[in-house]
Amino acid sequence: MKLQVRHDRSSGRIKAACAFVSLTGLLALPMGSALADSKDGTFPTAEQVGGQVYIDPVAVGQKLPTDFDTYDMNGQKVDLGSVVQGRRSLVVFFISAVPVSVNELAAIEDFTQKNAKGINLVMVNADTVGAALMGGPKAVIPNSVKTMHFIKKEKNLKTTKIYVAPNDALSADGVSTRLGIRGLPTSFLLDEKGVVQKVFVGPQKWKKGDI
Amino acid sequence: MSINRRQFMKGAVAAGVAGSATMLNSGSAFAAVHNPVGEAQAELFGKFKGNVVLLPSKYGGYVQAMDLSVPETLAWYSYGLHGIDMPIPHHIASMPSADPYKGFDFYQTMQPPASPYVNENSPEWRNRGDFKMFKMRYDGSGKQNSISVVNDIGETTGMSLGVHVSIGVGENANKYVAFADGQKDMVLITDLGDVPKTVKAFRCDYDPIARQLNISHIFPDATTGKFDFVGRKGMKTTHEAMLGEELMPADPTAVFVDAFTWHPTLPFGAILIRRLGCCAIVDTRTWEVVALLSTAKGSPDNFPLVKQTGFTWTFAVPSVLTPLHEAGFITSGDYFVACNNVLQNNIAVYRSTDENPNKWKKETFVEGFGTKYLPLHMGNVPDSRFVYFTMWARKPNNGYICKVDSKTWQVVAKWDTGPDPHTCDCTVDGKYMTTVYSGHQAGQSGLVVLNVENDKIEARLPCPGGMHDHVVVPESWEGLKFSRSTSV
Repeated sequence: MKLQVRHDRSSGRIKAACAFVSLTGLLALPMGSALADSKDGTFPTAEQVGGQVYIDPVAVGQKLPTDFDTYDMNGQKVDLGSVVQGRRSLVVFFISAVPVSVNELAAIEDFTQKNAKGINLVMVNADTVGAALMGGPKAVIPNSVKTMHFIKKEKNLKTTKIYVAPNDALSADGVSTRLGIRGLPTSFLLDEKGVVQKVFVGPQKWKKGDI
Repeated sequence: MSINRRQFMKGAVAAGVAGSATMLNSGSAFAAVHNPVGEAQAELFGKFKGNVVLLPSKYGGYVQAMDLSVPETLAWYSYGLHGIDMPIPHHIASMPSADPYKGFDFYQTMQPPASPYVNENSPEWRNRGDFKMFKMRYDGSGKQNSISVVNDIGETTGMSLGVHVSIGVGENANKYVAFADGQKDMVLITDLGDVPKTVKAFRCDYDPIARQLNISHIFPDATTGKFDFVGRKGMKTTHEAMLGEELMPADPTAVFVDAFTWHPTLPFGAILIRRLGCCAIVDTRTWEVVALLSTAKGSPDNFPLVKQTGFTWTFAVPSVLTPLHEAGFITSGDYFVACNNVLQNNIAVYRSTDENPNKWKKETFVEGFGTKYLPLHMGNVPDSRFVYFTMWARKPNNGYICKVDSKTWQVVAKWDTGPDPHTCDCTVDGKYMTTVYSGHQAGQSGLVVLNVENDKIEARLPCPGGMHDHVVVPESWEGLKFSRSTSV
């Protein structure tokens, strides 16, 4: 199944409406109101997470937010913005819980090596689901990093730019809400300034010219 | 097992008559169903006579049949005996039995342990457990009660699904059983035979670009007669989405199908689709998809059919204002209710008496649950006066059970029964509502019995192992209408 979002297929009016609803929803909250998080058990309202379940990804022409916590294969915090700064990049978001997204990593790597020389390929695991069981909260990043190494080995990936970005899907500040990702993999093609040129949702039948 | 004086004397006399046997060899002293007469709690539990409760232990890996009137476990079965490493008995439904103490059949689903409870990311965990559906049999006809596997339905049909199971009622009584799974987005309908035959299967896939839902009949291989979806095959996501994870990034096509519930009087069933907040209504005479209800407040009553191509029905789903979880019919069939949750926490109430489901309209919503308590499961009573709902909550909140008057659709009672509450199911006489809580698979857990008339908590029993579901064995096909068939 080919699922691809391009600029000319996105609806500016829907995005504008969602952005307005989202903004007004947040502004309507009194100071100190509980936003959804993983601490007090509150679930979000639609207004807090983009207006509905299926929100649109960051649109073409917008700068991709990168100011969320990101960790490298050594478990060290990194600045994702500096990873993509100054280079044309393909940032691929996936999670280990979605087989189709993990399987796509090798296909993307193979395609970019053959057809997109010089592209800065960056893979980001956008979740840490279940990683706390063995060892509690402190084990989340080490366990996720362990999984990254496992996936890299299992899928025979050459890239070293594999990261993990803990996500709280129920939070307005969560990675998935901020980036508008509901289907994975979602890949953002960025220019040297980190501005989105294309968005690819789901596995692709990659062809020359896509990147 | 303790022996009361009456039993002792009965056994001793029997032994004496036999002349040689010791009391321990006397079958009458050690009947397979314990008589608690003379025991201090006999009066308390005696009123539950006739109710055998099946309790699958999600993280204990076993199922037990419990006589609520003693109470005691009549028999139990460890699914590890079937060769499964870390079995997770998940949902359950029972066939009716006029004498459940003598015997009955039931269905049990199972899923792998990969879930937010365990480290699914870990390579050590990813191959543990399995998707399974079993036809099981309780035999209480002899001196030693037992539970055994009748059929491994996944192996028989080639399709293994791990979430809700529900048995047909009304026009579909004594014909079908339905299985569903949200990791594969599939539904399987089989007959009720000991070697079940596939009747129909569905698969649901969302197209997030076109914003359309495709619901397709899928067919087994013509040569083998089986599907190729045993075990993890066909899995879109490695764990069943927890409540709230409808917002989690997932396979783009994933919609988290959860259950198939049966209309008690009309020839319809509903495929519950969590992530889209929709219920697909299926005509069980033809298995055609005839309507797609959109249950959120603020959305239309249903979404339109865009096209039908062969055995695929394509519906437009332009927006999803909230996911849902369970949905089903009240015992009379007059209403179809849907538990909207996560983004909206309310219960949509459709009038469901029209023979054209596209004419089913949302008449009202049960509201006022706030942002911490999610409508989850529903339980019916025989006369449809009330509907019980599980209001689930994340830690550190317990959640609660509420009772809703089906005339006013207002909450008339609620109970904080314990942390992580799950399903509700009525006793065979309609007097009591049973419900389980599982302590998030680790902490406080138990079975609570509520009095339907006076709202008193009548009993609380320990249930180690995290009971995620349970069912009271119904006494008849009519009784199945207020068991776990019309609702889940």
